[in-house]
Amino acid sequence: MAQSGKGKLNYRCPSCFMRDLDIDMFYDKDKDEYYCIRCQYTGNEKDVLEKNEMVRFRYRAMSERITKFDFD
Amino acid sequence: MDKFVVNIIHRPEMVPEYAEKVTGHGKAEDIGRKALLTESLDIFKAQQRLAHENGLKTTIQMTYASLFNEEAVALAKADHEAYGDEIALSLLGLPCKEFREKYKTKDFCIWMFSMEDKKSIVDDIFAKFHETFGFYPESTGSYYLDADLTNYIKEKYPSVKCAVATCWEEGPKAYHTCNNSWYTLFDGGPWAPWIPSKQNTHAPAANKEEDSGIVAIPHLSRDLIACYDGNGSNFGTHPQNVLRGMIYDSKTWEYPYMYNLIDQYRSLEKYNNGYAYNMMFVGPAWMNKMGRWEAPYELLEKSYSDGCAYYGKLKKEGKLIDMTMAEFADYYREKKSYTEPECALWRDILYGSDKQLFWYCDPFMRACVNMDQGGAIVDLRPYAAKLEWPVGIGTKHVQDASYPFLIQEKYRAGYFTHYAGEGTVRSAKLSYNGEEVDLCLCRTKAHFSQEGNTRTLTLDPVDIEFYDLAVKLQTKIYFEEASSNIKIERTVLGMSNPEAKVELNEYMVACYGTTEYPEDMTGITLKCEGSEEKSIAYEYKCREEQLAGADAVSAVVPAIGTKVSLTASHKDAVGYVREGYAFSPMFTLGYTKTISDKEVFATWLNLEKAN
Repeated sequence: MAQSGKGKLNYRCPSCFMRDLDIDMFYDKDKDEYYCIRCQYTGNEKDVLEKNEMVRFRYRAMSERITKFDFD
Repeated sequence: MDKFVVNIIHRPEMVPEYAEKVTGHGKAEDIGRKALLTESLDIFKAQQRLAHENGLKTTIQMTYASLFNEEAVALAKADHEAYGDEIALSLLGLPCKEFREKYKTKDFCIWMFSMEDKKSIVDDIFAKFHETFGFYPESTGSYYLDADLTNYIKEKYPSVKCAVATCWEEGPKAYHTCNNSWYTLFDGGPWAPWIPSKQNTHAPAANKEEDSGIVAIPHLSRDLIACYDGNGSNFGTHPQNVLRGMIYDSKTWEYPYMYNLIDQYRSLEKYNNGYAYNMMFVGPAWMNKMGRWEAPYELLEKSYSDGCAYYGKLKKEGKLIDMTMAEFADYYREKKSYTEPECALWRDILYGSDKQLFWYCDPFMRACVNMDQGGAIVDLRPYAAKLEWPVGIGTKHVQDASYPFLIQEKYRAGYFTHYAGEGTVRSAKLSYNGEEVDLCLCRTKAHFSQEGNTRTLTLDPVDIEFYDLAVKLQTKIYFEEASSNIKIERTVLGMSNPEAKVELNEYMVACYGTTEYPEDMTGITLKCEGSEEKSIAYEYKCREEQLAGADAVSAVVPAIGTKVSLTASHKDAVGYVREGYAFSPMFTLGYTKTISDKEVFATWLNLEKAN
């Protein structure tokens, strides 16, 4: 088994991102999966992208363009 | 006239901080790689082009490495001529062959070097800059500039009048986000430009004697709610930071949040005599051709292009003035007095909560009031102490440049604790017939007003419901310029039983530190001051003293040279001090008073330098 590399983009671990940790994942081409070197997350690109959508749950106003800033 | 000023800063960093380690993965380290140098310069050129296409001038912060690169120098000279860009000098971007050969180290953060090396490096770089351009720069900066270094630069190179001097709330949170490997520990500073004191960069100067001689600007303009809680590098006027935070639609590549953030900063002119400020400073590594985080280069480039376009649009509409750093320093000196505070009533624009924080900063304190906790003070930095805190190799604080807190709700619990003990917060409790309610649980909103030199936060009244009594209470918080205190006034607007008597407990739980971890509280002295003096030398023994009609209740914290006290408006209040214990390494200062319908009771939180 050859060493892992970075994959085509620097995908971060979505599980760690949820706890405010930016950890670049490494890519295991034999298994076609990304894995986190800190936690136990593993997943292929499709799974990473799905989980990256999930991590946005907390940004409830992310898509809203606010035009009025009279908050007080 | 209302003014929204933007500083756009670019640096030709020949060896970007991330590029060699992250995107150069799998290659042996070679900071002289031609491909790396070429790419870095290409990114710098793209950034300059995008700013100029949108009618914006920039400040070009030359790095040490770029001073050895003829093309980078020629580009800077050409853009200065064509667009009026300022040619300045950054203390970031030190790594290059010449630097490593001379200093024999891989350190690259100027504030972490020994003082001897700091001086030597500054002299080398300024000399090289002068040799290259024939003049000394007016602006400089780094992620952080310590006071000793600033004082040295100002003395040796008096032309310097502006510097990037801190990143707001980039401390333990950023460290953790980077898997405990990014040592930028400088919480507790101002979020908007300020004049640093000679004693401590984060503490603004109160007068000419304390004036370091420069105007400091923060590295980026950051979200005053999101950055306080989360990773600072996700929520700022740095388009790629917004991508790092994944705050964009992955299908459309739109990021309304970035524009909302800029617009909320624009709105802060209401609290600052018609002035608001933004800063955008993106290092080349963030526009790496190989992409960054999940974002491909096209998205990185688009976000920067969109950022410049939005500032450019505001400029065309007459809503923004772009300045170089040196121009801004002159403007700021003319606009602001030493004691004029910076105020920001900030609303959540990301999480959909409507939560409000009020941030206040002057030469005596930085404070945060949380309206989601009934107007409790949840962060407090005692700038009045003007704490001398040298940083770098050879000092007690090699990396930690944070200004210490007395209150920090994220690092020291705040209102909510697990099972036992207390967390740091300045709030009040009401008690009636054995029931107790803390105002931290009364969510409300605030309104800002200014009369003369006093800024006032008027909170919407809250209802406190006991089993057989309802109390309507209003809080007003006064910040009088240069007073070094915060006045908190509670007014009982109504009671369901007008004859009822309720006990009000105004309290402050505090400690000190710069990180999440407890410090040694030994040495702290707690006192009830007045007709007699009662004191406790801190020994974790859970003791308490009280004094009816106390003039003040106070704590002297020698480790941070600070005296903090509470004083009260009424003599019939009882002052108390409370020592903590090992599982709750805090101290409490407070006043209790019986209050009735329509009664008004005020207390002051006072900060002084302890002798």
